[in-house]
Amino acid sequence: MVLLKNLQPPTEGVRHEQAETTAVMDGQRLGCGTLYVAETRLSWFDSSGLGFSLEYPSIGLHAISRDVSAYPQEHLYVMVNGKLNSEKAADDDDDDHDGSSDEIRFVPSDKAALESMFSAMCECQALHPDPEDDDSDNDFEGEEYDVEEAEHGHADIPTFYTCDEGLSALTQEGQATLERLEGMLAQSVAQQYHMAGVRTEETKAEFEDGMEVDTAAMEAGQFEDADVEHW
Amino acid sequence: FKSLVGKDVVVELKNDLSICGTLHSVDQYLNIKLTDISVTDPEKYPHMLSVKNCFIRGSVVRYVQLPADEVDTQLLQDAARKEAMQQKQ
Repeated sequence: MVLLKNLQPPTEGVRHEQAETTAVMDGQRLGCGTLYVAETRLSWFDSSGLGFSLEYPSIGLHAISRDVSAYPQEHLYVMVNGKLNSEKAADDDDDDHDGSSDEIRFVPSDKAALESMFSAMCECQALHPDPEDDDSDNDFEGEEYDVEEAEHGHADIPTFYTCDEGLSALTQEGQATLERLEGMLAQSVAQQYHMAGVRTEETKAEFEDGMEVDTAAMEAGQFEDADVEHW
Repeated sequence: FKSLVGKDVVVELKNDLSICGTLHSVDQYLNIKLTDISVTDPEKYPHMLSVKNCFIRGSVVRYVQLPADEVDTQLLQDAARKEAMQQKQ
């Protein structure tokens, strides 16, 4: 048995409202009612005020089914993750072994409305992204995080940037330090030509790395006399 | 993914459902819209027959099977490696 709750239909942010829509849950006809596609959730209520609502994160898939031979009427198919009721868990035979999914079909009397019902649901799904994200797909987000961490850090300028993108993500402090160091490098480079002459390219690469940034800042002045090999 | 729009892909969901279709669009959350979908693996395919358009939420996708000749695997490997390096930091 499906447990229908007496809830209020959503009043705000209703993207689409479809009256005379029959809901079929796992093969069980719930009767004729009104489907509300709201920005907060998806709801359906029959004439007596009983109905159910679905949170968008629980909706795994929705689709328009048009093949009359498969199902007698064109309808909106919705696949829901997880169980709607814990009671059903014991009874249901049709489920997959993994991830339990429930199927709901919304059969509107107006078939032409299926497209707009579908589109409204797509839009609302986009409003409810999943909170858990193992990886950040957006490179943009990744870079922003790094900059934030850099700002919170001490004089420890982000030391890990080896590629070009890293340079652009340096904080203002980092940029200033980089410029200062490059100036100092230019001075010591001139001297190195006299002394070793070979290491210039390597040292420049190391500066980009940023690893040596802090220590180099302090010791660069000392290098006028000392060995180049500290680099 | 955006370069695959218009190509046929197979989306396998976490509940073992496999759907073949033409990639209509994809967004930043990897929500996928497929058109003209059809069955790939009849056993793992519940009675969702002959659906024309479907919207698949990114969180329920387990795999997206791409046609091998559509993807420059070398480029993909390099990009993935680079991103992994950035994320370690």
